[in-house]
Amino acid sequence: MDIERLMRISEELARKHGVEYYEIRLVSFRSTELSMSNGQLKRLSMNSERGIGARAFNGIWGFSSANDVERFEKAIETAMKIAKLSKGDSRIHTGDPVVDDAEIGVKKPFTEVDVEEKLRILEETDSMLLADNIVNRNVYYSDWLVETFYFNSLGSEIRTVVPRIRFGFSVTAKENGEMQQYWKSFGGTLGWEMVEDVDLPHWTSTVVEKAKELLRASSPPSGEFPVIADPELAGLFIHEALGHAVEADLVKNGDSILAGKLGQKIAVDGLTVVDDPTLPGKFGSYIYDDEGIKAKRVEIIRDGVLVNYLNDRETAQYFGLEPNGHGRAQSYAHQPLVRMGNTYVEAGDWSFEEMLEEVKYGLYMIGDKGGQVDTANGTFTFGAREGYIIENGELREMVRDVALSGKILDVLKSIRAIGKDVRIEYPGYCGKGQSVPVDDGGPHILTKALVGGLK
Amino acid sequence: MIDVIESLAEILNSKDVEWEIYWESGRRGSFKIERETLERSQRKFYSGIGLRVGIDGKMGFSYITGLHHPTSELERFVERTIKLAKVSRVQFKGFPAPSSVPEVRGIYDRKIEEIPFEEAHALALQYAERMRELREKETISGALALEFERYGVVNSNGIEFDGASTYMAVSAYAVRKDRPGNGSFYQSYRSLQGVEVLEEAIRKAKKDAELSAMADKLDPYSGELVLEPEAVSSIVGILVENLYGDEVYYGRSRFSRFGEFVASGSFTLVDDSTLEGLPGSYPFDGEGTPGQRTTLIEKGVLKGFLLDHTYAALLELESTGNAVRSFRTIPSIGPSNLIVEPGEESLEDFEGVVIKNVFGEHTANPVSGDFSLPVALGYVVKNGELHPFKDNMLVGNIFDLLKTAEPGKETRRISSFMSPRVRVDAKIV
Repeated sequence: MDIERLMRISEELARKHGVEYYEIRLVSFRSTELSMSNGQLKRLSMNSERGIGARAFNGIWGFSSANDVERFEKAIETAMKIAKLSKGDSRIHTGDPVVDDAEIGVKKPFTEVDVEEKLRILEETDSMLLADNIVNRNVYYSDWLVETFYFNSLGSEIRTVVPRIRFGFSVTAKENGEMQQYWKSFGGTLGWEMVEDVDLPHWTSTVVEKAKELLRASSPPSGEFPVIADPELAGLFIHEALGHAVEADLVKNGDSILAGKLGQKIAVDGLTVVDDPTLPGKFGSYIYDDEGIKAKRVEIIRDGVLVNYLNDRETAQYFGLEPNGHGRAQSYAHQPLVRMGNTYVEAGDWSFEEMLEEVKYGLYMIGDKGGQVDTANGTFTFGAREGYIIENGELREMVRDVALSGKILDVLKSIRAIGKDVRIEYPGYCGKGQSVPVDDGGPHILTKALVGGLK
Repeated sequence: MIDVIESLAEILNSKDVEWEIYWESGRRGSFKIERETLERSQRKFYSGIGLRVGIDGKMGFSYITGLHHPTSELERFVERTIKLAKVSRVQFKGFPAPSSVPEVRGIYDRKIEEIPFEEAHALALQYAERMRELREKETISGALALEFERYGVVNSNGIEFDGASTYMAVSAYAVRKDRPGNGSFYQSYRSLQGVEVLEEAIRKAKKDAELSAMADKLDPYSGELVLEPEAVSSIVGILVENLYGDEVYYGRSRFSRFGEFVASGSFTLVDDSTLEGLPGSYPFDGEGTPGQRTTLIEKGVLKGFLLDHTYAALLELESTGNAVRSFRTIPSIGPSNLIVEPGEESLEDFEGVVIKNVFGEHTANPVSGDFSLPVALGYVVKNGELHPFKDNMLVGNIFDLLKTAEPGKETRRISSFMSPRVRVDAKIV
């Protein structure tokens, strides 16, 4: 891939087609993926790929991508032709050119670890998940190293190298016709040291025991209840209940209940929510976004007041905000959208015990089981991996398959307590037409929500 | 056969291995309209080759992007994949043998392959124009996508198939400006559709937005209610994982043997990749196994699983031609077109609680079957009049719910899913 030649060609084509702004991402990546079910290796692949994503702006975005080197030039020209043909009246933030070469460094590069070693960890983990009543065991591992060269018509030239690693396991327990699952996953912009640091005996036995306990748990009650969310669920909650609704592209499109609410009090005093892609080692971390804007920590809510939207070049300009580097694309073949990175609730001053004492009858819910939000209507839902009934400040029986739903604006104002114990270590993927790695977390929080149970 | 595939096959034939090539080459164009203005246009190109190699009962897989490679690079690609097969302990159960492939009509439209970008762009502008004309108390957004793909499977057993597919997808999304309310519409096709289809999409999204804006929360309810095909699709989506052969083989499915009663006597669920013009249709799957009609549940009785070649062999069954893949992946199991067969009785004039859309299906537990899903839109029908509601949760257990399922008579299609309205016993909180 001759970068200089592509840069020269881009400049010539932009002149020829009268394109005012363009940006090109040349990406190459290497990945390894292994998965095992019940001790059998299901998948082992090691691949590498190169591709180009070209965008041109002419009051509207034109985009093209290709993964055949022979078509790279054509992709650049196609993006420009589209922009020329389309002519719109949007504007974008351009700013000064940036020249940089940055890597997320790791202790032990996974590219230097033999695939046999990766396989050995899978086998070891699998054997630790063997237990009575466990009918299925799954272990998976993947790593990928992405090298991006970004350049634009302003003269920006940014080379970044970002490693990502993911490892996890799940089991299915079965007894008397009941079936339940439990899982744990780890991930980060880290090297092989992440896997080495996992306390396997602890986590494998936790996963096995929890799955078995859930077999005997009952369905939760239904109705509106006080709910204590653990740090993992608090992260999911803030991702769904707030994070999506402050993505400036949704706001601009009239698709968020938080449109027009900048500077307004939308949550309780003491609630501060942050998205910070610069946290070291987290799964949702990055150095530059896919529009060549440096990642930065963004306070979304400060002490209950909505102070910022997550934005990209176009929406920063539209709302007159400082660009904050949240334009992310799934791959070179996708256009950046406004996305979260690592989203979390900052610490309050409650201890977990104090929080429990506040609850006469309610639920303590633990673990992320996925969620979804309807930002226009302001309704969100999410699932927890396990739950416990709280009665008179004490934890009682375990409940299974708990899902909650609530209204964004009600729930943010119904938070009664924010804990001190912040954790941001819950890697996952966020979908918005495209899938990107994110992390989230927070302390324990006490709020209320609609619980959908069978009882 | 295209040149690069021929050269690759030649190299592979000189090695003492079993092999399979899956290749693709395509183009995707899409247009995104926001608030009645065309905001993003794109045309993407992709191509690549996936290679599976089997040696001594073990399988190796690797891929390369692009279809232009010198022989030396192809040689390295083959060597790399063979090396992976040697170190990998992934079970290899052989590749399918050639058999005759059905003729599936209406899955390729030359007009989509040959459409100049300018013409597709003009159609998108027309779509935006119709949005501006039809908008009232809402903002309207949407998208239009046109896709064309050529693909093929070649293996050492003599399979040598190639095919061409085209797709068109249309979505519309309306958000009310006066009070919270939104509605959406999605449909996909295999041939180029005209502006009347776009207009219909806008009207449907608008209608749901209007209902949503009028909706309030309903008092808790338990008993008989009717699911619109959209909500049936969500419920079947939770169920269907239990019918995947790999989930069954690895003990992660609720089901293990045929003949079990898993639904009411009027519930029949079928997977059919041979239907004319449907988004999920194909003549052969990602391994070259012919497309077919597979009865999964017949009159409440479990009759079949969705299978590819590998898991069919492991379960001592026949592949149902449900190997889904791209050149980047080994085959995985997935449905083609899923059909809930219609029943005898019409439910179109049903009076009572009707649920149109729910969301958050991935929070449900497919093995225990428990779900609680927020209702995005429902309505209580009284004397033919609709009283909309939203923000409740539909709760239940899919396995219990299916035992009460009574499908209605008139079928509707949502992309590759077809179903009538279905009457069930369920609970709303």
